[in-house]
Amino acid sequence: MKRKALSVLLSAAMTAALLSGCGGSSGAASESAPAASESAPAASEAAPAASEAAPAADAASEAGADAAAQATGGADASGKTFAIVVKSAGNAYNTKEEEGFKEVIEAAGGTVVVKEPEAATVDAQITAIQSLISQGVDSISVAANDENALQATLEEAMAAGIKVNGFDSKTNADSRMTFVNQAGTQEVGQTLLDAVYDLTGGEGQYAILSATSQATNQNAWIDAMKSIAEGDSKYSKLELVEVAYGDDEPQKSTDQTQALLSKYPDLKVICAPTTVGVSAAAKVLQDQGSSVKLTGLGLPSEMAEYIGADDAHSCPYMFLWNPIDLGRLAAYSAIALVNGDITGAVGDTFTAGDMGDYTLTDAGDNGSEIILGPPFKFDPDNIAEWKDVY
Amino acid sequence: MAGKSGRSIKAEQEVSFKKLILSWEGALFILIILLNIFNASISPSYTVTNILREMPKYLAEILMMFPMAYILVLGDIDISVGSIVCLCATMTCFISNAGAPAIVTYIGCLAVGLICGMVNGAVATRFPELPSMIITLGTQIIYRGIAEISLGSGGSVSFNDTKKIMPLSKKIGPVPVVLFVVIIAAVIFTVVLAKCTFGRELYAIGSNKLSAFYAGVEVQKCRFIAYSLLGLMAGACGLFLTAYMYGANTTTGQGFEMEVIAMCVFGGIATTGGKGNLIGAIIAGAIIVLLRIALGQINLNSQLILVIIGAMLIIAVLIPGIQANLKARRKLKQAR
Repeated sequence: MKRKALSVLLSAAMTAALLSGCGGSSGAASESAPAASESAPAASEAAPAASEAAPAADAASEAGADAAAQATGGADASGKTFAIVVKSAGNAYNTKEEEGFKEVIEAAGGTVVVKEPEAATVDAQITAIQSLISQGVDSISVAANDENALQATLEEAMAAGIKVNGFDSKTNADSRMTFVNQAGTQEVGQTLLDAVYDLTGGEGQYAILSATSQATNQNAWIDAMKSIAEGDSKYSKLELVEVAYGDDEPQKSTDQTQALLSKYPDLKVICAPTTVGVSAAAKVLQDQGSSVKLTGLGLPSEMAEYIGADDAHSCPYMFLWNPIDLGRLAAYSAIALVNGDITGAVGDTFTAGDMGDYTLTDAGDNGSEIILGPPFKFDPDNIAEWKDVY
Repeated sequence: MAGKSGRSIKAEQEVSFKKLILSWEGALFILIILLNIFNASISPSYTVTNILREMPKYLAEILMMFPMAYILVLGDIDISVGSIVCLCATMTCFISNAGAPAIVTYIGCLAVGLICGMVNGAVATRFPELPSMIITLGTQIIYRGIAEISLGSGGSVSFNDTKKIMPLSKKIGPVPVVLFVVIIAAVIFTVVLAKCTFGRELYAIGSNKLSAFYAGVEVQKCRFIAYSLLGLMAGACGLFLTAYMYGANTTTGQGFEMEVIAMCVFGGIATTGGKGNLIGAIIAGAIIVLLRIALGQINLNSQLILVIIGAMLIIAVLIPGIQANLKARRKLKQAR
């Protein structure tokens, strides 16, 4: 009998530990419990009423929050809760997005809820979003782990009156109101082609080192580069000799770079629009002291030792979007959605504080998107400050 | 009814209120009441409607907990179920997208699960000397591998026509359909384990395989059935998941095996076999799910939630060990 008693004692101790560990408000436990369960049916009834009352509340808060609105360039989020769901925990890039998001929302007087799923899976994101619906947040900004899999959950959120926008990684058009795109295909293509033009001096051979041959974003960027080059006589003296595929594996990317060097002795520039490819190629070129220059899309932390203006460095400059700005734009667009400034329709415009005015454009999937702008340039002047960031 | 050895076997176990409260299941029951009070105090969103809405994903997982309990009672383990879920979900989408009607899609999904379970069972019974952990580790990799190959480079598939799977994610009032399925499964699996011959045989095998064999229990047949049942229920889990995700991808069902095993172990089912029952596992499953929901609602760091659940599990496993230790010491004292 004693051992049974012990088991009860231990489980009681466990509960106590839980209570003290994460609650802090355990004193109110028994009092609020019945109240919470009573309010359950009322909550569902109140839902439509709440959405009706929202415009009225907006009007009321507008007058009082003018000062805050001026400080943040027109965005006002006082009294509202904005949630951000990133891909997974323990991801430095995601942390930067959160940072930008928080900065804008808090400056506008709103409350931020950050959800970092324990793993980069759809299941974990569904759990997180369901929890946010329960909490009755005003908006959810999500970087989806799968384009279609969140549809049922996000539709449920929108039906509950929550504004949903995607950022970083797209959800399908049915599961979002708008999408904040860090890399417009045309913008990336234009930027990379201009970099090649600049580094070759306007004429000569260049090659592209891509990821896999099926990667949709890579192919879209490469196609954009090709079509821009064809459409403008300025680029007529540039010759694209080969698109090589390193499959986003460091070793294969290294091999492909070496193959390019031996096949094309007159090669002037390699453009690698993939973070794995660009760092592998940078190492090859720098180790061999090659005169071939490199540009592309890369992570500052991985590329810092290769970026430099002199011949000892293989990469004069490269690009990537700025995750902090991406988070900030996601926040501004969420505020605009919640305040009713935009509905997510193509052609809507809003002001994103000091980032300027943005227009919602057609994303090509029956939905709208907001393009952050051209990729951010990392050169010898700013690489030192960014290499510790991400 | 004293036997030759002088020990007696009671035909009926005495059931007293005190004993009921002090059993592991009783302790869990008290814990779940305390937990609900705690949850309601920390989270204002902890309402019946919200819980029912957040539950379906977990309920799909719990479908696999019942047959997993059988496997654990046998003294076996199956860590391939997460991959079976992934494969079933993937195949459901392909079958549906090929134009099959809803009913064919459902049966197809369950069939894929059943076949996977039967393969596990066949290998485990053909080579009983191999540890089940290793066999199912192998099939875990194989099943997910097949799913990944079928999914191709995109890594995900969606339904062309979501109407076919809609009935599965429907709600009757605020209650999701999957909850009814879970309740029916819970009743059947619990009764079979506790009251039917098959259940008794599982305990016999788990306690001592050899003596069960000599007592005329068809050991390998029972194991085969248990593995097949688990495969079937993994198929059901996959089916419901696709209904909530409108598709499948390479990470579907990842880590489910461990979550399901954790629920069983926390419910007092020993991985060494022969011990525990489904009532405990069901309450334990409810505790873990409700705790996750409440901690999620107060936006606690997701990894911290995992740490808390992990710690609970360790304590749950430690308690019987400590008890045995104390008992042994007491005996030693008495002997002196």
